Amino acid sequence: MTPVLDLQAVEKRFGAVTALSEVDLTIDRGEFFALLGPSGSGKTTMLRVIAGLERPDRGRVLVEGREVTALPPYLRNIGMVFQDFLLFPHKTVGENIVFPLRMQRRSRAEQQEQLAWVSRLVRLQGLEERYPHQLSGGQKQRVALARGLVSRPTLLLLDEPLANLDRELRREMEVEIRRYQRELGIPFVYVTHNQEEALTIADRMAVMYRGRIEQVGDKLDLYMRPETRFVAGFLGHPNRFSARVLEIADGRMLLDWNGVRLRQERRFETRAGETVELFLKSERIRLCRRPDEAAALPNRVPGRLQDAIFKGVFADCFVTLNNGAELVVAATPDAAGIPRESPVTLAWDIADAHAFPVEQEGGGS
Amino acid sequence: MKNRGLRFDPRIQFAMLALPGAAFVFVFLVLPLLSIVVFSFWRTERYELIPEWNLENYRIVLTDPTYLTFLLRSLVMATVVCLASVVYAWPVAYFIAKHGGRYRLVLVLLTAAPFLTGIVLRVTALQQILGPIGLVNMALMTFGFEPIEALMYSNVASAIGLVYLWIPFMIVAIYLSLLNFDFELLEVAKVAGARPWRAFLEVTWPLNWIGTAIGIVLVFVPTFAATVTPRFLGGPNGSLFGNILEHQFGATGTWALGSAMGVVLFLVSLAFILLIGRTIDPKRTGFTGIGR
Repeated sequence: MTPVLDLQAVEKRFGAVTALSEVDLTIDRGEFFALLGPSGSGKTTMLRVIAGLERPDRGRVLVEGREVTALPPYLRNIGMVFQDFLLFPHKTVGENIVFPLRMQRRSRAEQQEQLAWVSRLVRLQGLEERYPHQLSGGQKQRVALARGLVSRPTLLLLDEPLANLDRELRREMEVEIRRYQRELGIPFVYVTHNQEEALTIADRMAVMYRGRIEQVGDKLDLYMRPETRFVAGFLGHPNRFSARVLEIADGRMLLDWNGVRLRQERRFETRAGETVELFLKSERIRLCRRPDEAAALPNRVPGRLQDAIFKGVFADCFVTLNNGAELVVAATPDAAGIPRESPVTLAWDIADAHAFPVEQEGGGS
Repeated sequence: MKNRGLRFDPRIQFAMLALPGAAFVFVFLVLPLLSIVVFSFWRTERYELIPEWNLENYRIVLTDPTYLTFLLRSLVMATVVCLASVVYAWPVAYFIAKHGGRYRLVLVLLTAAPFLTGIVLRVTALQQILGPIGLVNMALMTFGFEPIEALMYSNVASAIGLVYLWIPFMIVAIYLSLLNFDFELLEVAKVAGARPWRAFLEVTWPLNWIGTAIGIVLVFVPTFAATVTPRFLGGPNGSLFGNILEHQFGATGTWALGSAMGVVLFLVSLAFILLIGRTIDPKRTGFTGIGR
């Protein structure tokens, strides 16, 4: 089956800056895809290339198997929702929404029919006569979404659509947007720098960094099995530290971390004496008050609890280890009741931490 | 904290702030204008104003075909010059606003550079280009072509001169409007399926209509009252209403009639401004602050 969108070796430069390099990506029918990356990673440029607002220097863009690389945006039938909503201030809500249909010269009856349908979908009925400045932020965002969806485009691009909304509204809109996507079956490509948002909303995602796609796949895979140092260090805001390789055997490494022995999976070529960098998500660490609780786990490090911040579902515990390092642990909320300065043991399994060679091109953040 | 400064009633504060401006407008604008209005109802005899109230001057201006013809010519001239200025100024202002970068302001000010000299000098300079022995026609003749008659002492020459004189106003007005225009809206329109021209008509033009309208008024009013330009460039058949009006205060010394003509000129300009104002729908200007 032809994918809805197929980017082949797309490259885009702005002067000396490479915004996109060698980007390959396919997006299938009906999928909710998130493009995640820090600002300046090229994700917005990618969206603009897909929409036709930027022309790639190299590579091809295919929509439903048809090459559109050189096609102007107005011939692509791709919907787009922008970060600042960008409603036409001189047009009413209704006029804003039917704008794409008017451009396609659809009949007035059809425009009204689609307007009624999409206003119901995004829950804007009764606001059609208002002007954008009379709307709240959330309503503006709904109008922008309605305008993007009204012509039932082959693909809907969303560029940080919730960045300008407050937190409560963002939660609500995340759920809403997922609902539109499921009801319409149109593939959504959702750009964001907010990983919680990307993880909540999408099915599949790509993490971008410095104009490249670092890793693409199922969101759970990216989170649990990062393949690059950047993804490992980015998703889940993990603890990070370096350790020296002591021995290698049976696909495992024995590491020395400032005097503490660690056991770790080996997933790349390395030799004894080299340094590796480890990324360990705070929720993968077990916080044990008695050392024997951790007996089943290969990595155990004793330390002292510095502080525990109650967060509701869990508690962030700051632990200073006996080797001088400090780790953050997401523990069950009752950990907030442990007295400060209590001795604790942190423990994790060999696959919980992700190790990467220290020097890797394109790494670091 | 106690405010120890002098405090006035807000209405007095307002009056104190408004007074200098209001006095200026009153002394230098309202009073002269009022005197013209008064004169227009008097009559002149042997170069002297005689305060005898009558409507004769208006009867002449509004019924004598000569004056009406000149009024109509000025109206047509002002309309044509406005249209030409809009068509010419838009691309210039658009280019500067969009691609001028950090030289934007300099570029806009440069379009107004001719204002550093006087009108007479500017028009005379234009004569050197358009006239019978002007640059354009001399060049044509040097290379064996026929000179363009329309450029020599004609209404076309006048129109070119007037566009040249007043177009900086138009450019600045449109440029200032475009500064507040969010060009990203054009990208939205294009993604939504609008071809570039359609996007311009649907988004750029309506959202910058106020600026354009201001430019139109700023060009219309001085063009409608033009005297120097048609005198220097228009030739024997190029006289406009302003020239005839000027004549009343000079050669013929019929000040009262001239005043009536001035009042008519003023009223027609005012009517035009109101007409343009009618085209502005406050709801649809996009000027409502954060309209998006």
